[in-house]
Order: sequence, then C-alpha cells, then structure tokens
Amino acid sequence: MKPDILSQADFRYNFDRDLYVNRTMKKAFSLEFVDDHPEDELRKLIQESTDENGWRFYFNHPPSDGVRRELERVLG
Amino acid sequence: MSDRTIEDRLREEYFDLLPDIRRVAWQLETEIRYATLPIQRTLAHAEQLIVKSRVKECESALKTLSRVSEGRTFDPERPGDYSLLSLPDLAGVQVLVFPRNRLTEVDSALHERFPSWTAKPLKNNEGVVLAPRYFGYCEAVGTRVRGEYQVVPMLLGLFWEVEHSAIYKPDPRLSGRANTREMNRLRKDVEAALSRFEDGFESIVRDSNL
Repeated sequence: MKPDILSQADFRYNFDRDLYVNRTMKKAFSLEFVDDHPEDELRKLIQESTDENGWRFYFNHPPSDGVRRELERVLG
Repeated sequence: MSDRTIEDRLREEYFDLLPDIRRVAWQLETEIRYATLPIQRTLAHAEQLIVKSRVKECESALKTLSRVSEGRTFDPERPGDYSLLSLPDLAGVQVLVFPRNRLTEVDSALHERFPSWTAKPLKNNEGVVLAPRYFGYCEAVGTRVRGEYQVVPMLLGLFWEVEHSAIYKPDPRLSGRANTREMNRLRKDVEAALSRFEDGFESIVRDSNL
C-alpha cells in the first residue's frame, strides 16, 4: 500500500495539511498526488535526488509561491 | 503585535455570520417541515420521514475551505481570495425518508417550495445519483448565507453518518489510510445491499396491497 511505501521511507503524515513529509529529505507529497500516482512512480520520486536547498513539493498542481513559503515555514 | 493569519480572519467572519447561519438553518428546517407535513400525515406503518438541521461548525468550515487546495494551506499573500460565503452548506437540512419510493414525493414537494434552488445531487464514485441535493437562499432571512438541503434514503443516510466520521473524518491515526480503494469497494457493497433491502421491502408492500 502507498502509505506503507512512504512510511518505510520515513515519511510521516501531517494531519493538518494532509501531506506525507520527510524533513530530512525535505520532501512532501500531497494526499491527492499520492492517490493519483502509481506505487512505482512514488518509489522513484522518493529516491530521486534533489539539488535544491529548499523543499520539494509533489503536488498535482504546483503550490503558489505564497503557499510554498507558508508550508516551508510550518514544516521547518 | 503579530499579523493576523487568514485563519483568524476567517474565524472572525464565521462568528460575524453565525446569527445569519442559524436563521437560515431554522427557516429552512421550518419551511421543509411545513412543506412535507401533508406527506407526513399519510405515512403508513413503518414509513418514516425525519427532518434534521445542522449549522456547520467553525473549524469544519475552515477545513472545508482549505481542503479546496492541496497542502490545505491558505496563501498568505492572497487573503482576499478566501471567504466562508463561498461555502454552500454553512446551514443544512437533511430529510431522511423510508422507504425510498417516498423520496420522489418529498423531492417534488420541496422543489415546488424552492423552485429556484440549484440542484447538485449526491453521487457515488461511478456518477450514480444517490440522493437529490439543492443549494440556494432563504430570501425571507437574507441573501448572505446559502442553505443546503438533501433528501436521502434513510438507510443510506444513517449508514453515511457512521461512515462519514469513520472514513471521511477519521481518527488522525487513520488519516490517509481509511479512504482506500478497498474501503471504497466495501462502502459501495453496503450501499448496494441497503438499496436491495429497500427494493425488497417495497416489493413486499406492493404485493400485499398495503
């Protein structure tokens, strides 16, 4: 199951935001994105390396700059 | 003093709107009770018609509004984009009917009472209509807050009450796990079984010429 794949990769569910979050990797998957993408793709995205210093948000619709900044502030 | 968040502003809006929301709920419930009174009087043994109203709670309204966007986060740079008035169901009435063949009668009586209201039926994941639902204004009490009413087969409505809190608003520890394809399949099975039960009951009543 998809939640198990994310849980095994140390993603924790954020109940307020409906996001799977890994603070070490600085990655967050939205519930909608997880629902709409197959397990294989999720595994690949969990593994993919990111050059960015900031967070990587996996959303069906990319968040606006304001939402991105707010999420980065909340997620730390 | 720190800036107020969008959530704080929306909470203030909620309590500003609350008297209107209550008035719409009371007005709608009363009008629906009145419009369905002639049907209520003719109900046979075992037939039921229950009218219930509810006012959406503040945090539930905020959550519904935030749920529109992924990440459930308001954009702090666009505070003007958010208003609770965009929610169509701050005040709601549910009419539970048993058996289902009474539903059309109730739906017609209410449609006659609220002819200009917008229909948005409740559907399952396959697009099958499960219950009629309408949104609109009770003009007698104002045009700020919209109301919602739905006419629901009683067995389905009571099942949804349980299912809604277990699956749709689950224990936080189950969030993201409860609304799975398997649970959706089981829910569909229950809905189909309840419909078959109503079909069976209606057929017995018909055959018995009651």
